Amino acid sequence: MTQSRMYPGTGPDEHTTFAPYSAFDIPADLRELYGRYDVEATARRVRNFRYAEEWMMMIMGGWLATIPELPVKTGLGKIIWETAQAADVLGRRLPELRCGRASVAVSESPNEGFAEFIQRAAEPESPDLTIEKLVGIFGVLKPHLVEVYERTMRETDQIADAPTIELLDDIVRKTRRHLAWGSDVLDTLADTDAKRERRRQRTETLRGLLETCGGVSGELAHA
Amino acid sequence: MKRFIHYDELARDSRFVRQTNLLATVLATLPDDVDKVVEAFWALDPMIGKSVKGTAAEPLYDAYGPAFALVALNEPLRADDPAVKTRLLMRMHGIFAGELQALEGAGRSLWDFPEAPWEFKMNMARQCWDEARHVQIYEKLLHHVGGKVGMFPETTFLFECACADDPAMRVAGVNRGLEGLACDVFRDMIRFADETEDEVMKQAIDYVLADELTHVRFGSEWVKEFTKDDPEYFKRTQEYQRQVDKQFSFGGSRSDRKDAAIPIARADRKEAGFTDEELDELAQLSGEGPSRKTMRAASKIMRERHRERQRKEREATA
Repeated sequence: MTQSRMYPGTGPDEHTTFAPYSAFDIPADLRELYGRYDVEATARRVRNFRYAEEWMMMIMGGWLATIPELPVKTGLGKIIWETAQAADVLGRRLPELRCGRASVAVSESPNEGFAEFIQRAAEPESPDLTIEKLVGIFGVLKPHLVEVYERTMRETDQIADAPTIELLDDIVRKTRRHLAWGSDVLDTLADTDAKRERRRQRTETLRGLLETCGGVSGELAHA
Repeated sequence: MKRFIHYDELARDSRFVRQTNLLATVLATLPDDVDKVVEAFWALDPMIGKSVKGTAAEPLYDAYGPAFALVALNEPLRADDPAVKTRLLMRMHGIFAGELQALEGAGRSLWDFPEAPWEFKMNMARQCWDEARHVQIYEKLLHHVGGKVGMFPETTFLFECACADDPAMRVAGVNRGLEGLACDVFRDMIRFADETEDEVMKQAIDYVLADELTHVRFGSEWVKEFTKDDPEYFKRTQEYQRQVDKQFSFGGSRSDRKDAAIPIARADRKEAGFTDEELDELAQLSGEGPSRKTMRAASKIMRERHRERQRKEREATA
């Protein structure tokens, strides 16, 4: 009886008999190569995302002292930490995208308009402006980031850029929790028509600014 | 949003009453002299009387006069003390307010120093979460022992003393001074919870203490990092920390003295990065205030003066 070969030899008649399916066939891999962003473009986007996350974390940190509502102060504590973790994991992706070892702490605004938007979001200071403070982060910027992160996950190379997808997926999951919390808090705080109007106006103003500058990646208008 | 805020700007809801920080500052400068303690505290009487109005401290003020804070601060928590409930509530409320200010201090470190290294920001962000949990824990513990938020006036003294405008001094003040004090107080609270067999309190505070060690460690490491190329800067930072530690010793209430209400938690502090030399120095500078005997004598005089005043007021209105 001829024994089947366990290991390939050097000639075409010396193949093994093992079925030739690849690891990607189990389960069937429907992903395709090629995405909208090359390495440089993804690195730039990651720096932009990191810029937004880092600034949100610093702004919320500053607000802890000037927000009078105790559950808001304590609720923000965890969100600050998770936002810092988001910035951190984005930073750690940068050296993997040929940005150099020192790039882990690099943030970059896509343009001056977005940097200006961030400063406008950070403006409210006095204790009677909790609504204005929270709208900037939970009503405008974080929802925008979820939208952009999800689009990035869909549009980038599904196999080659999978590490970016994985980290954004984790950030989005946590950010959705932040949004649910922020929305509950804002619904509670905006309990009169006048306060709801403040919420609406602030949302409209900041959304307008965000759209004008093109958002976190600077390309909102072209999306 | 501006950088660096004044302690008066710490925002609170309508339950809170604020007390001037003068009381705690004065405590740190008092000598071991009964007359001088009486003189200093009696001068603060109008302010103390005003700040306790409508709080759970008002009956204490009525009974003891301006000295009630001395009585509460300088006596250790003992299960067999008839006034233990009041002392426990005051201490628990003070800790709750301290945690709130520590949360605000950590948050401001994120905003006030935007150019700080990323790892520093990560440490401060983590501390924000920890302090937020501590506020939640102490709010629950306050309820657990029968108290409520806002029942006593809050002094923003901890934030005032610890939140310097310089990053090395900020971490020296908040992370080594304030969090170091927290280690001492929490170790003593664990001792009390043990004595009263309060497992809920004991376990919760033990977790909080574990966090505080981490925060002190952040402070120890960042003071070194921020000042590493500048010995003069390091010296100034150490001097600042000495001042903070002196103020946070409340005239010897927190010290290594035999009569201290809160002993220095040496083992915990060593684990958190304090050296023996630093702990000896802390013991020395914190032990310089008035003794418990002096405080008791001063309290007695003020109580008598207060009663005499009340008697005269009653006669005048009769």
